[in-house]
Amino acid sequence: MNGFGGFALRRLVGAVVTLFAISVIVYVVFYATPGNVAQITCGPRCSPAQVQQVAEQLHLDDPLYVRYWHFLEGLVAGQDYSTGTAVQHCSAPCLGLSYQSDQQVTALILAKLPVSLSLVFGAMVLWLVLGVGTGVLSAWRRGRLTERLLTGITLAGVATPVFVIGLVLMIVVCGQLRLLPFPQYVAFTDDPEQWAWNLLLPWLSLALIEAAAFARLTRAAMLETLAEDHIRTFRAYGVSERSVIGRHALRGAFAPVIALNANNFGSAVGGAVLTETLFGLPGIGQELVHAVDVVDLPVVVGMVLVVGFFVVVANAVADVLYAVADRRVVLT
Amino acid sequence: MSAPGASGARQFWRRLRTQRAALVAAAVVALLVLVALAAPLLTAIEGQDPTTYHPSLVDSARGGVPIGSFGGVSADHWLGVEPQTGRDLFARLVYGARVSLGVALAATVVQVVIGVVVGVAAALGNRWVDQLLSRFTDIIVAMPLMIMSLALLAIVPSSFPRPVLVALVIGLIAWGSIAKIVRAQTLTLKELDYVSAARLSGWGSWRIARRELLPGVAAPVITYAALLVPANITVEAALSFLGVGVKPPTPSWGQMLTAADVWYQAAPQYLLLPAGALFVTVLALTVLGDGVRTALDPRAASRLHVGTGRKREAKA
Amino acid sequence: MRQPSVIARRVAAASVSLVVAAGAAACGPEDNDAKSAGGDSTPHKGGTLTVLNSGPQQDFDPARLYTSGGGNVPSLVFRTLTTRNRENGEAGAEVVPDLATDTGRPNKDATVWTYTLKKGLKYEDGTPITSADIKYGIERSFAPELSGGAPYLRDWLVGAADYQGPYKDKKGLDAIETPDDLTIVFHLNKPEGEFPYLATQTQFTPVPQAKDNGTKYEQHPVSSGPYKVVKNENDGERLTLERNTYWSASTDAERKAYPDKIDVRSGLDSSVINQRLSSSQGADAAAVTTDTNLGPAELAKVTGDKDLASRVGTGHFGYTNYIAFNPTVKPFNNVKVRQAISYAVDRSSVINAAGGSALAEPATTYLPNQKSFGYEPYDLFPAGKAGNPAKAKELLKEAGYANGLTVTLTHSNAKDFETSPEIATAVQDALKKAGITVKLQGLEENDYSDKIHNVKTEPGFFLAHWGADWPSGGPFLAPIFDGRQIVKDGANFNTGLLNDKSVNAEIDAINKLTDLDAAAKRWGALDKKIGEQALTVPLFHPVYKRLYGEDIKNVVISDWTGVLDISQVAVK
Repeated sequence: MNGFGGFALRRLVGAVVTLFAISVIVYVVFYATPGNVAQITCGPRCSPAQVQQVAEQLHLDDPLYVRYWHFLEGLVAGQDYSTGTAVQHCSAPCLGLSYQSDQQVTALILAKLPVSLSLVFGAMVLWLVLGVGTGVLSAWRRGRLTERLLTGITLAGVATPVFVIGLVLMIVVCGQLRLLPFPQYVAFTDDPEQWAWNLLLPWLSLALIEAAAFARLTRAAMLETLAEDHIRTFRAYGVSERSVIGRHALRGAFAPVIALNANNFGSAVGGAVLTETLFGLPGIGQELVHAVDVVDLPVVVGMVLVVGFFVVVANAVADVLYAVADRRVVLT
Repeated sequence: MSAPGASGARQFWRRLRTQRAALVAAAVVALLVLVALAAPLLTAIEGQDPTTYHPSLVDSARGGVPIGSFGGVSADHWLGVEPQTGRDLFARLVYGARVSLGVALAATVVQVVIGVVVGVAAALGNRWVDQLLSRFTDIIVAMPLMIMSLALLAIVPSSFPRPVLVALVIGLIAWGSIAKIVRAQTLTLKELDYVSAARLSGWGSWRIARRELLPGVAAPVITYAALLVPANITVEAALSFLGVGVKPPTPSWGQMLTAADVWYQAAPQYLLLPAGALFVTVLALTVLGDGVRTALDPRAASRLHVGTGRKREAKA
Repeated sequence: MRQPSVIARRVAAASVSLVVAAGAAACGPEDNDAKSAGGDSTPHKGGTLTVLNSGPQQDFDPARLYTSGGGNVPSLVFRTLTTRNRENGEAGAEVVPDLATDTGRPNKDATVWTYTLKKGLKYEDGTPITSADIKYGIERSFAPELSGGAPYLRDWLVGAADYQGPYKDKKGLDAIETPDDLTIVFHLNKPEGEFPYLATQTQFTPVPQAKDNGTKYEQHPVSSGPYKVVKNENDGERLTLERNTYWSASTDAERKAYPDKIDVRSGLDSSVINQRLSSSQGADAAAVTTDTNLGPAELAKVTGDKDLASRVGTGHFGYTNYIAFNPTVKPFNNVKVRQAISYAVDRSSVINAAGGSALAEPATTYLPNQKSFGYEPYDLFPAGKAGNPAKAKELLKEAGYANGLTVTLTHSNAKDFETSPEIATAVQDALKKAGITVKLQGLEENDYSDKIHNVKTEPGFFLAHWGADWPSGGPFLAPIFDGRQIVKDGANFNTGLLNDKSVNAEIDAINKLTDLDAAAKRWGALDKKIGEQALTVPLFHPVYKRLYGEDIKNVVISDWTGVLDISQVAVK
């Protein structure tokens, strides 16, 4: 599998370059955001002398490139830091310490990532089922009432912000009908069943937002395939409609769905801010918004890199799947 | 068989006209745009404006819920008034259409222009150009939209017109997907017979791009853009939710939705109005997008009906 | 007070007034509606109390916490020299002994304060609490690694201004003496009759030096209170507290500690918290919140439902939302312009924007309308309910602006904060009637905070708010109006840039008083005197309404914090 090895290497180099560029961009952009970081960290009532002490503590007075260099050093070689009473080591790859909470950013990420991944993986399954299912049904029942109804529902998902869908779902399902308890995150490792029940509404809310795009994509690709010669031939030879749809037409939708899915999965890891906020899921998105708010640069950079990493990986996986599905494609 | 697009605008219109649903959708979109443009006139007819407070129309002791049925609907206030402030909801809805549609359309235009230019250039350029542009696209795609918007919106001075800024920020950050779609589509088209033929007959890259590729790229781009407009409206809403959207007292649908979600139980019409407006917009744009796609890409259309399309050997 | 996040602000979305900071005193007849809830059933020990919060307890180090009276959840774990009186209403605004035997013995001019610890006090590991631990706890709050607390210790203790804490300076602070294990003496650089109030803050919590692990201490601070931390997940997102068996009710008259266990869950959306409390299902029946108020939309729903209405606790916290002027910026250098705006303001529409008459009370005084502040009612520029544009126009004419005036009002873009766009728009709308055209300048929260607290960039006309660090006029008036507290090169809170010799002298004179009632009266009089200069336009004082679960008993809401006191709550 020489071809695959080369592909993996190229992808790896590409990913490193991409993540490196992202870290530079984030550093520059957040360096330019207003807000006196030392004052925010210290508290609004801190005296100028105290603020100065905090600025020194966090090396905020160093020029941008020096700070960025320290960041790279930590990433490669790790970093020692003082808790006041002792010296601790943050081993490589060290993303630094949060200005606000003095926690290691890597530890913060490890704590939040399972939540975000739980949310996004589950939602992904749902949006694929909902989206592709709707797409198939509407291609099959093209022009009939079923199609119009399904299209309407998925479009309502696109048209409604997640904080509205989520809140209404929660009020109705948990508050009025009392079908489910109000969601609160339970770790998968603690209790898989509770994990799933508690994440059901967040999954559904997020999936409803994403499903429409998949439905439209699937429908379009299927219609295109259904119109092709070989399908007509199958039909002419009396292959059942179900088989035509299931085996052949659906395969045509495979590639674009994978590509879109990779894209959405990656961006949802850090982009499901509103879902996380509404349902009180302590994930990456929620933490990121908070960190942006208090200009907690190490946390922002660290988390954006992790999110970027997932986008890159998801896209690479999509390319591999695409190639597996379609032998003609050469991995580049 | 002639290349698509060469047949010109007249043919496009003729094909579009044959689709009833698309025509209705086009009418709805036109109406929405008209309402947005005529907002001052419409509110003048109603005799209201979107910013004046009417403290006497809300029940202050009950959190400012509108007095009267259906959220205070009356001859003076056609759609009732906003909780807490008593501002006229009809006026806010039609003025909100200006901002929401304006921001979303402008952002979409920015996304499409950048995406198409980058995508086509990457597909037609040499290896290095392709590598550079594709990497750049990867970087953009890998940046969390919300986070970068939050940061960028905080950096730009507050004197910069906010709706323009929001449109620009959304547009400049979220073009990656279009670029990828366009690049992939262009690469496919490049291999097709008629493009190869054009190249053999000595056409330049630019001419090929303009005459042969863009029309082929247009179909997926328009389909995607029809979904981008509503997505952009909700991004603006999400930015409002996070406190960095268009600034009050300027109304936008996103802002109304944000403010209204907690009122879902106490004053439902406050939530239903912007949500309904948004839904109608999305529906109309999607149906119109489909229609335009069909009209633009007669090969796809003809395949659907007659089955004389190119053969895609890969999928057999 | 540390910066609340976007999400925390969103929390306030429903609640309009975000309480993070400070506290104060007495007012209103509504204080006791807690009784209707706790009413007939007597509280019993046992059970688990759930706390549903939006903001995580990210800071759980007593050095870093900025609280009024020791905070709510922190006060379950941290005992301090003195504490707030855990009673309903006005009585709850008093300061009472906690670890100490009394509220402090001053010398003649209130510059030296002596405290004696109660006997038999122990930490969660059974080791005794000593006065040296309290000294150490205060010293470590000076470390830049543990910044975040209130500024008073640094300002008041002799030689503390440049102290960098015990990690860098092992010698410690000479201003705090511990002649024996039970005695601690504080030397102040000026008379401060309100020192007992300051001693309620968490910096006065004992910290055993042997257990101090710097910035990691907050993960498991050593308890001196009725509960200890058994679990602290995700940087304060979920806290589990269980009984500290070494705590004894006989040394603690204030904390009731009925539940066996306390489960604090945070990171929740405010509307979800209120929805859960109103549904009151399962564990939520024994739930309260310590940071989420009812918002206007929820209030509209709750008032129509008898069951829900009986589960709402109402309280008042010393807090004022106001318009601030910078008199060095034209045209606000002209007192007539400031007065004209004072007359033109429509408080009823401002109050509606803030959540309506149930959630906000009109303010015409800068001091909160509570007794412990020395509240003296005055309305120097009567605007009535809806503003007096005629009088405003008249004043503008006298000021030379007969044809109207255009000004810029600066506010924060943070949603539903007291300085939010909604309030700004209400002011804009009201001033229009007086011929004043208001342009709005909305700034991002960090930018806004930087600009208004910097003398070089301070705008002329902006929305502001202030909450007291304890229920007295001192921390309310001094930081804002004491001319010597103008900070030229850092965060300045005297935004009116007032440096009036007679005001400064009166502040000094009141600080000498150790009779807090006498001091309160003079703070009230001083407030009125400053009010004549029209440097602010007081807009409203918030009212806090919070839901609690069906099984919650013994609800106590003091005028110090304005919110249900978690140390008093029972679930059985």
